[in-house]
Amino acid sequence: MAGYGLLSPALLIMVAMLALPIAALVLLSFWRQSGYTLDTTLTGANYARIFGLSDSPTVWMGIPFYLAYPVPVILLIKSLMMSLTATVTVIPLAYPMAYFIAFRVRSGKSIWILLLTIPFWTSYLLRVFAWKIMLGYTGAINSGLMALGIIHHPLDALLYNSGAVTVVLAHSWVSFAVLPIYVSLEKIDRSLLEAASDLGDTRWQRFRRITLPLSMPGVIAAALMVFIPTVGDYVTPTLIGGSGGSMVGNLIQDLFMKRNNAPMGAAVAIVMMAVIALIALLFVWLTGYHKMRARRR
Amino acid sequence: MKKLKFIDRMAQGKVSRRQMLQSAGAFGVGALMLPKLADAAGVLTCLEWGGYDDPKYYESYLKRYGQKPNFSIFAGEEDALAKVLAGFKADVMHPCNYSVSRFVNAGLAVPIDTSRLSNWKDLFPSLQTAQGVVIKDQIMMAPADWGNAAIAYRPDLIDDKFKADPSWSIFYDEAYKNKVSMVDDPVAITIGAMVGGMSYDEAYLLNGDALKKATDNWGKRAVDVSRILWADPTDAEQAMAAGEIVAAYSWNGLVKDLHDQGIKVAYAHPKEGYFTWFCGLTLLDSGKADPAQAYDFIDAWLSPDTGKALIAQGYGHSNIKSFSVANPADVAAMGITDPVKMMEQSIVFKSTPDDVQVAQNKAWGDVKALKL
Amino acid sequence: MTFLNRFAGLRLYAVLFVIFIYGPVLLLPLFSLDTGLYPTFPLKGLTLQHYAEMAANTSMIEALKNSLTVAVIVSALSTTVSIPAALALSRYRLPGAAAVLGFMSLPLLIPSIVIAVALLIILLKFLGVALSLWTVGAGHVLICIPFCMSVLMSRLEGFDPSLEEASRDLGCTGWQTFWRLTLPLAMPGVISSLLMGFVVSFDEFVIAFFLSGTQTTLPIFLFSQLRFPDKLPGVLALGSLILAGSAVLVVLAELLRRRGAKSANPGDI
Repeated sequence: MAGYGLLSPALLIMVAMLALPIAALVLLSFWRQSGYTLDTTLTGANYARIFGLSDSPTVWMGIPFYLAYPVPVILLIKSLMMSLTATVTVIPLAYPMAYFIAFRVRSGKSIWILLLTIPFWTSYLLRVFAWKIMLGYTGAINSGLMALGIIHHPLDALLYNSGAVTVVLAHSWVSFAVLPIYVSLEKIDRSLLEAASDLGDTRWQRFRRITLPLSMPGVIAAALMVFIPTVGDYVTPTLIGGSGGSMVGNLIQDLFMKRNNAPMGAAVAIVMMAVIALIALLFVWLTGYHKMRARRR
Repeated sequence: MKKLKFIDRMAQGKVSRRQMLQSAGAFGVGALMLPKLADAAGVLTCLEWGGYDDPKYYESYLKRYGQKPNFSIFAGEEDALAKVLAGFKADVMHPCNYSVSRFVNAGLAVPIDTSRLSNWKDLFPSLQTAQGVVIKDQIMMAPADWGNAAIAYRPDLIDDKFKADPSWSIFYDEAYKNKVSMVDDPVAITIGAMVGGMSYDEAYLLNGDALKKATDNWGKRAVDVSRILWADPTDAEQAMAAGEIVAAYSWNGLVKDLHDQGIKVAYAHPKEGYFTWFCGLTLLDSGKADPAQAYDFIDAWLSPDTGKALIAQGYGHSNIKSFSVANPADVAAMGITDPVKMMEQSIVFKSTPDDVQVAQNKAWGDVKALKL
Repeated sequence: MTFLNRFAGLRLYAVLFVIFIYGPVLLLPLFSLDTGLYPTFPLKGLTLQHYAEMAANTSMIEALKNSLTVAVIVSALSTTVSIPAALALSRYRLPGAAAVLGFMSLPLLIPSIVIAVALLIILLKFLGVALSLWTVGAGHVLICIPFCMSVLMSRLEGFDPSLEEASRDLGCTGWQTFWRLTLPLAMPGVISSLLMGFVVSFDEFVIAFFLSGTQTTLPIFLFSQLRFPDKLPGVLALGSLILAGSAVLVVLAELLRRRGAKSANPGDI
């Protein structure tokens, strides 16, 4: 119970500020909108609308969706693919950097950490803007390539597509991902590594058998930290992804605002949360995070 | 467990209590204290577009009261509406003709008594009686800023066919794929239907099966052809300056800015017609300040001085006198020679009924969603 | 010397990494000095005019101050409440720990627009609290705690408990053990958590937008400037100054560290 005492301040804040909104959200998703007021008779109609079947499929990316209103499901898949791509890009980029700071920097590690976060003190909007200058039609890359005579017309495939979205998301999240990985590498007992060397392990064996497994909690934390919030991100794809950049977050935003249908928006949000939670759990289970934690106790 | 006793002590002792107090202080006390502060001052509260909180737009108000009103900045009317519906209290709001009815229908707005506005008599007559200004025979909005919506293009980059016969059809024509930018708004469906031969009066009310048909055809084409669907004028303006796109759905300001930067640009009035949008000020029923203050603020917005400042930014103004006090070069740069005639010839956007607007927003959102 | 060679590759990677995260951002100061309105190459000419415009823009400076204040308070508060919570979750076999952890990560799962609207309704309709920077801060604490927790927990988990036991055996009180042992050992995590909290709050747009009253934060202000393309260079100037300011901060921190006594603790940063 003492543990709960320690937890209590944080938990209290979270319960007070989160439980109410979530309860409200769940309730809302079982209501209907009528004009500017809510019809508070409980109904599963919003969910039925999301999953309602139809005989005539909507084909998207060559996949037939047998759904009467396929938009939420398709957007969810699109968003999941986007954040999965971002996560898979970010982790291998972040790991060597975290490794470098943890093992190669002798003094002034905090300076390195600071150095990595500084670009993110400028506003998100300015960073997106900077990327537009970088990738734009008359931007840094195009101008550079043209000055070198490599190309004669600006490439327009650099911006406004899903590749550009991945690059910008990777840029936005890679420093965040370094932190938990660094933190978990930092606490690895150095004597373990020495012992392994003494026992004749090569550097690679030592990395694979000791460093990597022991840093997994950090890697998992980093992966979830990137994956979870990017599913709901709709600002980056809207600004960078061109006319095909709409995501499930846009739909939720639209339903709450432009379409004046908050209950449907709540239902889509809850379906999205459930799917993310499932994927996160599956991921944690597959990587054996819990087994790892249990073993170390 | 017992070796971790120190944590137990921490848990039950001072630490957590102090932290609890801290957090309680931050939230509870802050929450209890601040409403009083907000109530104590009878200062006007305005829900305003970002950037329009600049004092140059309400100088006479500032002179009279010696201080700025409180502004709550929004980026879209829906956001502002959501905030007011949730209970945010404000005296004045700055909606546009297509969104004012939502505030009225939600029961958040109160009618304006135009006799309390000294500048009312000088406004363009067509604006005084436009839909959205007048709702159910009452004045619900004092029109202030307006602009055209037509096609800005780069005469040095676009083909002669367009120059000879400007038409909205380029936003739906595969030949211009990735070379043009439509606005990110269901109006893309409306205009498409007009390209298909429908009149504006019919097209703006598209709903049901007709809307579905128009979306599947024109909406889909607009999404496919546009390089970007712009949400802020800056997006289109920069792409146009770079030569990345050769034409865009655009307001007057874009033409003026590109012109000022020495970039070749022209403003075409397409054969299907060009549009005028306008925004203005609406009184809300939740305000706490003296209504006289609200009227003074609105009147300041209607003055020719404000008009001059808006025209210098590339936006139009509702007061006819503004155009005689403004810098003639600024007026010309907007692509306007005769504002009265311009107003008469353009199609003033009409307010779509709420349910139709929601249906059109849904159609537009869905057609964008299905693009890769 | 073989030592250096071995890790030359890693060092090169670190440099490339820094170029990747700084490269685009450094275009901002470059174009803040350009006379042209549009950030395109080649530059049109050099000017400091945008900095003058920026300094004259009182609402922008006001928004910057608001954002800094909120971010500092939010980051301190979220880290303070997250430390004991992370200790509890990493040291105790709490019944339902997984559920608690899951619950605490929820703010990451919910799109911020949904949190924002839900909080807005609860604050205004149920509690009758006026919107202000405090309400923005409250919303930010909510989304910062999961970030802070995740960093702190990856540091605290799997700590050797015998150290703390030894401390107790040597007669330290719980408080002393916490101050002298646990906290210093957790310091890299604490610093990371503070930084993360700061950055998340400083950059947050949606929640700040809905929960702010008549005082704006910087992201909201910047977003609103998009309506006026001619305001952009001033915004770039501000972004550049923020960058320069934080660089100065880092240099100062490094100088301070070099002057201060070297810590013998390998985990100390």
